Amino acid sequence: MTLFRRLHRLLRRHRVDEEMRAEMRAHVELESQRLQREGIGASQARARAEREFGNLAQWQQRAREQSGAAWLEHWQRDFQQAARLLVKAPLLSLVIVLSLAVGIGANAVIFSWLRGVVFRPIPGVSEASKLVLIEPRNDAGAYPGASWAEYRDLRAALPAVQDLIAFRMLPLDYGPPGHEERAFAQLVSGNYFSGLGVPPEIGRLLRENEAAVPGGMPVVVISHEFWVNRFAASPDVIGKEIQLNARTLTVVGVAPEGFRGTVIGLTFDLWIPATMSSVLLAGPSEFDQREARNYSLLARPAPGAEAPRLQADVTGAMATLARRFPASNVGVTADVLPFWKSPRGAGRFLFSGLAVLQVFMTLVLVVVCANAANLLLARAQSRRREVGVRLALGARPRHILRLFLAEALFLGFLAAVLGSLLAEWGTEALRAVPLPGAFPFRFETELSVAGLVLSGTLGVVCALAFGLAPAIRSARTDSHLALRAAKDNGGRTRGRGALVALENGLALLVLVIAALFMRSFLESRTDDPGFRVSGVLLGQYDLSGRKYDRAAGLALLSDLLGRLNAVPGIESAAVASRVPLDFHAMPSAGFTIDGAARSDGGKDRALAYAVTPGYLELMGIPLVAGSDFVPLTDSRRGPQVIVNEEFVRRYLATGTPVGRRIVVGPASYEVAGVARNALYETFGERPKPVMYFSYRDWYSPMGQIHVRTRAAESLASSDLRRTVQGVNPEIILYDVRTMTEHVEKNLFFRRIPARLFGILGPLVLVLAATGVYAVVAYSVARRTTEIGIRMALGATRGRVVRQIVSESLAPVWLGIVPAWLIAVVIMIHANHGVLVLSILLGVPALLLAVVGLAAWLPARRAAGVDPVVALRAE
Amino acid sequence: MPDGKANLLQGTLDLLILKALQLEPMHGFGISVRIRQMSAEMLTVEQGSLYPALYRLEEQGWLKTEWGVSENNRRAKFYALTAAGRKQLALEERSWAKLSTAIGFVLRGAP
Repeated sequence: MTLFRRLHRLLRRHRVDEEMRAEMRAHVELESQRLQREGIGASQARARAEREFGNLAQWQQRAREQSGAAWLEHWQRDFQQAARLLVKAPLLSLVIVLSLAVGIGANAVIFSWLRGVVFRPIPGVSEASKLVLIEPRNDAGAYPGASWAEYRDLRAALPAVQDLIAFRMLPLDYGPPGHEERAFAQLVSGNYFSGLGVPPEIGRLLRENEAAVPGGMPVVVISHEFWVNRFAASPDVIGKEIQLNARTLTVVGVAPEGFRGTVIGLTFDLWIPATMSSVLLAGPSEFDQREARNYSLLARPAPGAEAPRLQADVTGAMATLARRFPASNVGVTADVLPFWKSPRGAGRFLFSGLAVLQVFMTLVLVVVCANAANLLLARAQSRRREVGVRLALGARPRHILRLFLAEALFLGFLAAVLGSLLAEWGTEALRAVPLPGAFPFRFETELSVAGLVLSGTLGVVCALAFGLAPAIRSARTDSHLALRAAKDNGGRTRGRGALVALENGLALLVLVIAALFMRSFLESRTDDPGFRVSGVLLGQYDLSGRKYDRAAGLALLSDLLGRLNAVPGIESAAVASRVPLDFHAMPSAGFTIDGAARSDGGKDRALAYAVTPGYLELMGIPLVAGSDFVPLTDSRRGPQVIVNEEFVRRYLATGTPVGRRIVVGPASYEVAGVARNALYETFGERPKPVMYFSYRDWYSPMGQIHVRTRAAESLASSDLRRTVQGVNPEIILYDVRTMTEHVEKNLFFRRIPARLFGILGPLVLVLAATGVYAVVAYSVARRTTEIGIRMALGATRGRVVRQIVSESLAPVWLGIVPAWLIAVVIMIHANHGVLVLSILLGVPALLLAVVGLAAWLPARRAAGVDPVVALRAE
Repeated sequence: MPDGKANLLQGTLDLLILKALQLEPMHGFGISVRIRQMSAEMLTVEQGSLYPALYRLEEQGWLKTEWGVSENNRRAKFYALTAAGRKQLALEERSWAKLSTAIGFVLRGAP
């Protein structure tokens, strides 16, 4: 009978009972009719029929047992007994349930998160996993983004796409002059909301024609959070005019709660027609500039359009564009990517990070299961007599199997419940993690139903995994042997040895991974980044919404830096377009040396950013050759560039670097100096080639003001603000923070896994030790007699202990040696081929020391027994 | 044993039920009547004991059940052999034949 039919019958138990009774009554009735036909009186016939049938209730009970309907009752009884196990062996149960709950909970948290990233990548958008990004890719393999002109062309050229939407990020200033705050907007195409299928909370969302004419339609949609925080959720907000970058826009609607925009991990406040960019940015229109690749394209494929066809269409359309617009599009094709692989935002980082964590958590769970199996096996050994009695009293082996499985399932069930609670708590804790800095980042995770289902499934699967071996072992018990032998003197230990090997091997792997993470995290705090972190205050400005062209902007910069340098508390001041060790990747640029193209026609790429003269000195990055940039306002010298030592090592190794020319785009830059290497993107990175350009030659309307202060840097923030206000009250300084805080933000993503590993590492160590302890404790308990004989024959206590410990550690060695080799391979891959000996030797040493102690404790206790007592115990 | 009727050997009830159902599906009462007829009233079963056996055989997949209408127009549960049941019947008939031959030899003291 299949399980399904059984369950079906279980659920209909009462109905089945009733039918059975009806069937039996009918039988009695028919028999009494038959007897009446033979000439027996009605009442007599009835009585005889009933007598011949026998006790109806009793037959019914027997039939029920035969039919499998008693299944539930048996399991119910077994579960009751399993619950008693909790009381009888509280410590064992506690260890198993707690460790399993932690394993299940951690898996559920990571799984829910990972699943959310892949299947629900855009909060507030249903079926977001069906949306795909169309990302132009240049010949250097980078995704530079799409231009608005490209968006228009692709929209017309892709019949397999039902909706193609475009969007870009735009931080801007919200509020009346003098009271501005930073707000984060997305400039979007007119079909943005309709294409995503997002309905308005109130009012209406954007219309197609509102993003049709450049400079057109000063309307804005605000986020639910923005509405609640700034407008107290008042419905009067519709039709209200708000100030953005000193322009007036009309609020037409509120996006639904939970919708945060279309960049993974970021939360946006406002959505504005993309055609407003020329007004808001007060610059030249970006609509006809095919080089201005600012936009991301998101497509909803038409029903039935398969990914390969879409990719073929996109490749074809990009090829056409490359023929029509060679200046901007030669060598540029496009990839169709799932949203979570977005090259912008935190998506890819999150996915790979979470995938590593998921693997790690799965390993931990296997260790936990192996440990539980070990403990239960050891316990099953000590329950041989109980099992023997049960068998002698008529229990069948399958009843024993059921009893042991019920115990395991009971523990698994408790662990799943507790694990779900832990997962819920862990997810809440993750969502509540505050992120420093002005970037609107948030963890988008919630414990999904799938996560809870996973918890339950893991509970059952783990229970079966760790419960099956002891259950089968016990079911095979020979009741005669079990009852006769006071102690089990034989007993196979191979299974347990294998479990100990597995557990310790995995524990070693997990500990090595954890140690690597911890080390890179700790190292990054003490690592010399190549520049002086302390004593620097940072503040960001953005002139792109104001009427400053390049010349006016440079004049303003010179003025500002001059005034800052004159402030007594400030040692020096400079501006850079980027701050190293930022959250985001640094921009890079393709270049050629002395105009000589590479043999394959491609270009080398190096990180590139703009700084003002004095920046390197302020940062404490020494020049090893040449000199600093000429002043910003000095127009006599041609364009200049300063490169770092790594750049020289790779590209300018022959001859003196100073004076050589580097060609980037249309301009040629003279190498003015060579700077010492520093860290640019992350801690632990290998040296990267960098080109520093002068703001004079590489102008940007945005910048990060760097101020080196004489006293504590936070004291200078009012000086900085006052000076900036003094230059021009319209300039808004935002995201003022110290360099130390900025660097901390970079460490943020390492801190979460580091914390996780910091908790889980010791846990895994404890688990490994518990497993070994249990095995040794039970095995020496069984070997009391043997130990007694040995000692009676003259073995010293120390020798007995040594032997037990070394025997117990044999399977441990068996597990950790292959695991150690795997760890070496992992380390070579993860650590740029550098082997960290302190970890490779220290972690196994620690593990061995701990499990050795776990083996030594019970061994010493066993050897402490008086031989006479030990022998009499038999 | 009154009336010279034979007591049922342990385990033979299953065989009798399968045999009784060989020709057509029947309800429980019908099966008990058929067993009595087939054995020329020699074998009787305590009638209630039929039901645990029927449920056991169903559990083992040898019988299937279906609700139908009995000869006196009442709802009744009909039992029928499954393919596995037919195989089992053939198997049990063979082993029974062997056993009874063997016992026959023993009792006659031959060969």
